[in-house]
Amino acid sequence: MTVAGGTRTRVEQPGTVAEAADLLRGSSGPLLFRGAGTKRAWAGRPAEPALVVDTARLSGVLAYHPADMTVAVGAGMPLADLQALLAEEGQWLALDPGTEEAGATVGGLLATGDSGPRRLRYGALRDLVIGVTLVLPDGTVARGGGRVIKNVAGYDLPKLLYGSLGTLGLVAEVVLRLHPRPGASATATVRVPVDRAAELARRLRASPLEPAAVDWADLDGGLLAARFEGTAAGVEGRREAALALLADGAPAAWRTGDGEQAVWRRLAEPHRPDGEATLAAAGTRPGRTSEVARALAASGDDAGVRTGLASRPALGLHTARFTGPPAAVAAAVTAWRARVLALGGTVLLRERPPAVDAELDPLGPPPSSVGLLRALRRRLDPQARCAPGRLGSWLDPAPREDGPRS
Amino acid sequence: MTTYAGEYLDLLPEPPAGRVTAAFRADVARAVGPGGLITEPAQLRTYECDGLTGYRVTPALVVLPATTEEVAAVVRLCARDGVPFVARGAGTGLSGGALPVADGIVIGLARMRAVLSVDVDDQRAVVQPGVTNAGISAAVAPHDLYFAPDPSSQVVCTIGGNVAENSGGAHCLKYGFTTNHVLALTFVTADGDVVQLGGDAPDPVGPDLRAVVLGSEGTLGVVTEITVRLLRRPEAVRTLVADFADAEDAGNAVSDIVAAGIVPAAVEMLDELAIDACERAVQAGYTPGCPAALVVELDGVAAEVEDEFERVQEICRRNRTTHVRIAADPEERARVWKGRKAAFAAMGRISPDYFVQDGVIPRTRLGSTLTRIRQMSEQAGLRVANVFHAGDGNLHPLVLYDGAVPGEAERAEHLATAIVELCVEQGGSITGEHGVGSDKACSMPKMFGPDDLTVMARVRAAFDPQGICNPGKVLPTPRLCGERPGPHRPHPLEAAGVIERL
Ligand SMILES: Cc1cc2nc3c(=O)[nH]c(=O)nc-3n(C[C@H](O)[C@H](O)[C@H](O)COP(=O)(O)OP(=O)(O)OC[C@H]3O[C@@H](n4cnc5c(N)ncnc54)[C@H](O)[C@@H]3O)c2cc1C
Ligand SMILES: Cc1cc2nc3c(=O)[nH]c(=O)nc-3n(C[C@H](O)[C@H](O)[C@H](O)COP(=O)(O)OP(=O)(O)OC[C@H]3O[C@@H](n4cnc5c(N)ncnc54)[C@H](O)[C@@H]3O)c2cc1C
Repeated sequence: MTVAGGTRTRVEQPGTVAEAADLLRGSSGPLLFRGAGTKRAWAGRPAEPALVVDTARLSGVLAYHPADMTVAVGAGMPLADLQALLAEEGQWLALDPGTEEAGATVGGLLATGDSGPRRLRYGALRDLVIGVTLVLPDGTVARGGGRVIKNVAGYDLPKLLYGSLGTLGLVAEVVLRLHPRPGASATATVRVPVDRAAELARRLRASPLEPAAVDWADLDGGLLAARFEGTAAGVEGRREAALALLADGAPAAWRTGDGEQAVWRRLAEPHRPDGEATLAAAGTRPGRTSEVARALAASGDDAGVRTGLASRPALGLHTARFTGPPAAVAAAVTAWRARVLALGGTVLLRERPPAVDAELDPLGPPPSSVGLLRALRRRLDPQARCAPGRLGSWLDPAPREDGPRS
Repeated sequence: MTTYAGEYLDLLPEPPAGRVTAAFRADVARAVGPGGLITEPAQLRTYECDGLTGYRVTPALVVLPATTEEVAAVVRLCARDGVPFVARGAGTGLSGGALPVADGIVIGLARMRAVLSVDVDDQRAVVQPGVTNAGISAAVAPHDLYFAPDPSSQVVCTIGGNVAENSGGAHCLKYGFTTNHVLALTFVTADGDVVQLGGDAPDPVGPDLRAVVLGSEGTLGVVTEITVRLLRRPEAVRTLVADFADAEDAGNAVSDIVAAGIVPAAVEMLDELAIDACERAVQAGYTPGCPAALVVELDGVAAEVEDEFERVQEICRRNRTTHVRIAADPEERARVWKGRKAAFAAMGRISPDYFVQDGVIPRTRLGSTLTRIRQMSEQAGLRVANVFHAGDGNLHPLVLYDGAVPGEAERAEHLATAIVELCVEQGGSITGEHGVGSDKACSMPKMFGPDDLTVMARVRAAFDPQGICNPGKVLPTPRLCGERPGPHRPHPLEAAGVIERL
């Protein structure tokens, strides 16, 4: 099925893996794979594609075995639809990314490595994916992994695709490990600045309380929330100790039901794009959270840019937002990235106004493994058709001005 | 007709052309310094096999580097001369992953066994590859931390081997496998570059190369430093052993536990033969003659564990358990686990020889698969003991035989292979934790089609274009498996007289 696209871009929605393979085999020029499009701008902006492969029709349930706690779905399956289906059996895919409401697809989530607060307890999609069907640009269809939760046969292609940002091939089908829905949940909240939040997150991790999520954002001077899940007795049994641990200085509240939901909706907000701010995500050691915050404030101040921070201080994941004139934002992002890299972290540029791109290297310096990345790309996508530019200079090095030319 | 795609064959150059020459030897000796070289034939022989003792090849040279730089220097020499190399940890692998390559070298990581740093607050440690799995947990125990993956061989096997095999253990049902607990790797590529895969951050930017090296069985490069994630010790642990009159009841109990939304830390099953062997070996207090025993362990916050432990007992009773033994204290729990973890080695008590098999089925097929295995065992006239990770459907049938009886080893191997094929037919896997190695390379086509294998070969070639890094493992080749790979052949190296069966 062909869908109206731009003038030079063809948009296709294959309905089966075989159709997708035929489509790719018979095409040429740059490719872009699209799920719901919620994270189209992450990392570098790809070149204008000749063909967009949209996974909207690769969205069925291929096999659901509730008793084995596994499900196989088309990559275009929206996470929200999948969760609704699994809820009927008291199960869920233990993943709660902020993009779920916007329609994010399972394939898009795997390709971007997006996750949510409860990664702390359940891991990322990397930890939940057990099998994958991949379609390479030359139309080769390859399965990796398997359909059972334990399997070490062959290379772990499913996890290789985690975070690949559509640069290696089309994820057509995904097999996932499921969890039982926890019977009860409650969240302790306390208003604290980031330094306190980081220290409390450390104490929570060192305690036997096993929080499912620990999130902080600079809302109302700083809001820290720690979520506890499990049986009703198990959650209630942690109440006293959790409140005591969190309430040193400021009073802590214990929230359940709608009140709890509201807290997590608020904390998800600063991780989402608002159409104006530039967003960048950093990963560091959990213990670096305060330094990440200080680096952000300094970078914003130096460039004259307004900044905001939302952190998962027990995981070491941070979302920074920058608002201001494009050139100043670019300068602030670049400065912050340099400081985070110096702390041993990584930075992934997310949504931003196009004007910011003019002044900003979207990827920053490449990791030491860039040679392997390029070799892999050459083997899987020799013509460099998959989202050229997405990983910027890492995968598609710009010809060197002063280098030897042939 | 061949089952290989033409491209596949081009991607797997073999055998590597290089030879260990006098010049190569001298250069390697300079690269590693004193004590780092083994050349005595008798000493070389100790590296001729891993835990899969049926296949043996004496390497031309064994190198024991002491640092990442030494490993890189040795690998660069191998790359220069096209000499194949095989990384080796403790040699406990059960799939022939560390089987040397004739005319190649073995890079033993045993001398690199330092715990380089422990970060208590951030719950991680940086270790060298030769540190044992149990050694990591021991080093961090004073901080209430531990390393979760717990292969039964944990006292001996190395973290480098665990990374290469993506090893599992009894507690992986709840906590995941090695791949879920490794944050970063220092990695020597097949041409001798030193790179970081992963890092301080939970995720790298871009494709997860760390994840593809995990479980790659030493075929992509050599791991020389590992940053592992550590877990906080749970507040409460409760363990029980429930006896059942048959495996069907035990299997139903497992299903009911899972259906109740309980995720146990571990669910293990032992059958009568396995119990008999374990009891003779370590007297762990399992009930002799019991047809099926379940070990169920719950851990987590105290209030929750108590609650769920009651429910597990109730579920066992509902499924007609004949006896429930509750570990009264940590010592008794340790005894229960000692029995379970001794199972493989204990087989020697009840049989002169045995094959350890490793296959996975969807957990819900447990009952029917065990019945099929029993029938196959009767048909073959060979005893099969079963001890396995019931929670995730990872079977370890132990095929017992007597190598002194002519033909029995062949029949046993046949049966072991048939069992693993049965697993694949049920929608499972040829290996859940022991890896493909040289043992099961020829079974890969049972699970993967020509294009799947071609893409894996492309990944391999991206890391190791010369094919010098543990060649002949994981991916089948015509030389190893014939034009139409199938598992029912004698190992071709054996047929070719390159290796001998003991
Ligand atoms: C024509 C059009 C224009 C739009 N314009 C905008 C806009 O300007 N701003 C805005 O905010 N939203 C825009 N959207 C919105 C958008 O579609 C939705 O917000 C969207 O919900 C979700 O994406 P996703 O999470 O499934 O992954 P995506 O955002 O689709 O993909 C994320 C990344 O993963 C890759 N990927 C996705 N699926 C796969 C796969 N199966 N295999 C391999 N790689 C994959 C992609 O190539 C990309 O690198 C637009 C949508 C369309 C169709
Ligand atoms: C009694 C017994 C019980 C066992 N129980 C379990 C179990 O419960 N669960 C389980 O998963 N396994 C189990 N095993 C199998 C085995 O112990 C594991 O596979 C273990 O991880 C191997 O570690 P090793 O150090 O002995 O590695 P080796 O056997 O030396 O090597 C294994 C593979 O890893 C590669 N390798 C080793 N070090 C490196 C490195 N630094 N860089 C790159 N590649 C490397 C080798 O080339 C080889 O392919 C058991 C084995 C025995 C004998």
